[in-house]
Amino acid sequence: MVALPYFLGQSWLSITTEMLILALAASALNIMLGYTGMVSFGPAGLYAVGAYTTGVLMEKLGWGMLPATLAAPVMAGLVGALVGWFCVRRSAVYFALLTLAFSQVIWTVIFQWYSVTGGDDGLVSVPVPDFFFEVTNCYYFMLAVVSVCLFAIWKIVNSPFGMTLQAIRENSNRVEFIGVNVKLYQLASFVISSMFLGIAGSMYCVFSGSAFPDYAYWVKSADMLVICLLGGIYNFFGPLVGTVVYTVLTKIISEYTMHWHLILGGIIVLIILAMRKGVVGTLSAYWAGRKSEAA
Amino acid sequence: MLRSPITHDRCHVTLEAFAGQALAGISLGMVWFLIAAGLSIIFGTLKVLNLAHGSLYMLGSFCCYQVTVSLAGVPGNFWLAVLIAPLVVALVGGIIEVFLLRPIYKAEMIYQYILTFALVLIIAEVCKMIWGTGYHSVKVPWPFQGSVGIFGLSFPIYNLFLIAMGPLVFIGLRTLINKTDLGRNIRAVTENREMANALGTNVPRVYTGVFMLGAWLAGLAGSLWPPVSVVMLGSDMAVVIDCFIIVVIGGLGSLAGAFVGALILGLTTAFGLYLIPKLAVAFGFILMIIILIIRPYGLMGEPE
Repeated sequence: MVALPYFLGQSWLSITTEMLILALAASALNIMLGYTGMVSFGPAGLYAVGAYTTGVLMEKLGWGMLPATLAAPVMAGLVGALVGWFCVRRSAVYFALLTLAFSQVIWTVIFQWYSVTGGDDGLVSVPVPDFFFEVTNCYYFMLAVVSVCLFAIWKIVNSPFGMTLQAIRENSNRVEFIGVNVKLYQLASFVISSMFLGIAGSMYCVFSGSAFPDYAYWVKSADMLVICLLGGIYNFFGPLVGTVVYTVLTKIISEYTMHWHLILGGIIVLIILAMRKGVVGTLSAYWAGRKSEAA
Repeated sequence: MLRSPITHDRCHVTLEAFAGQALAGISLGMVWFLIAAGLSIIFGTLKVLNLAHGSLYMLGSFCCYQVTVSLAGVPGNFWLAVLIAPLVVALVGGIIEVFLLRPIYKAEMIYQYILTFALVLIIAEVCKMIWGTGYHSVKVPWPFQGSVGIFGLSFPIYNLFLIAMGPLVFIGLRTLINKTDLGRNIRAVTENREMANALGTNVPRVYTGVFMLGAWLAGLAGSLWPPVSVVMLGSDMAVVIDCFIIVVIGGLGSLAGAFVGALILGLTTAFGLYLIPKLAVAFGFILMIIILIIRPYGLMGEPE
């Protein structure tokens, strides 16, 4: 990954940088989706909270980049705690719809609060340091930030805390019987996921020097869900592989046809009917099968 | 979009304006009810949250437009379209249930969500390929042209017809579910799938039937709405999100809940647009959040 700038042209390097950020967002969503088993339709809302926190603090209040980016996960975590506190008490379907509702409320606030967020014009001149105008510099910075965050997520999901989350996914009733406060763990999972989503949003704001209401729109959430599913949700590497597959697919298909939504929809249907564990899940199941045959 | 009969300009709050908004809100709510009822019945029986339900509605709108235009000159062409379009949509629904949903009933919820989301993409793209990105309009059909005076305010007769459709369909569905054999089977499957299967109910056939009924309702709403508004891409998601709010407010799986929820959301939207236009987009969601604080399972839903 470190050597990539020597092989890729400017445009693909820029796409790769975007992919890094998207991979972080998808992995953050997967803490909830894959590990805790909570289907959220609203990750884009928290992603946008992160992006706008950084954008507004830098553009409107003149904060420096470091405090503005550090404020993003804090703000996203707070919003996540509020939304999560309300949502985790509900059954799965209500949870999904409520997260959608909250993210649409966030979208509306961004859209309508013109004096702060710039409304549908967005924030277009976030004063990012000149350092980031160079694609290669930006790439290395994002690579560093995303690697650290992914390492943190890896540590979290493989800690005893992460194991408890997976146990809740498998059978929340039984976990409750052992004396675990399931709702509290689910809330914690929601907040942690929100914080990393906030970081991803903040990084995208730095990368593009802008923030738009679209970041909070439900389509963005759907993208993240599809990415996790493409790669495989019961695996740490699923969302990462999903990001690469999804980005490359959309770039390639949209070059050849205007109707790429049709093809994307078709691919999703095929994946769900034929290889439900996603790319990583299916491959690892295949290798496990090969190994046991050999033994 | 489903918002056209509502006045966007702010004017003095008078009794006339109040009555006008109320009637507009109710007619909007009644069309929403048709869609939400389909969504709710499908969820109640199949336990599938169909994200593509709004797409079926949009498909109904486009089909209605197509039939109306193709049969231009034939008397009553619009009403023929209202007969034909929902049947086409029901057929599409049947195909979706048998070939796509049936294989994944046993999988986790997330796969159903994403599958029906993929259908949203596919149906929208197909509509775009056939009908393009422009607006299409359908004339208000005979004999409902013109307006009548109500509370000193002129109100389109066609909207009154829509208001009448809501209760008619509600009573029709109640009768179907409570009084007929099909309804008995639907209730049995909803109550306990395995037991109904053991007692000889053909569960897969009931599933297909219910999904087709739900699709038919979405198609019917899609056919009835074009004379009031325009037919265009994008109405699919606008509608499905509104209908999610309705079934959540009313209680998922409850027909009466869908009716009440649709009325409440219709009126809130109408008066909200009129009084605080800036926040109108978020009204439904705020309403939903407030109602769920008071009644966690919706107004007419039961705890699981």
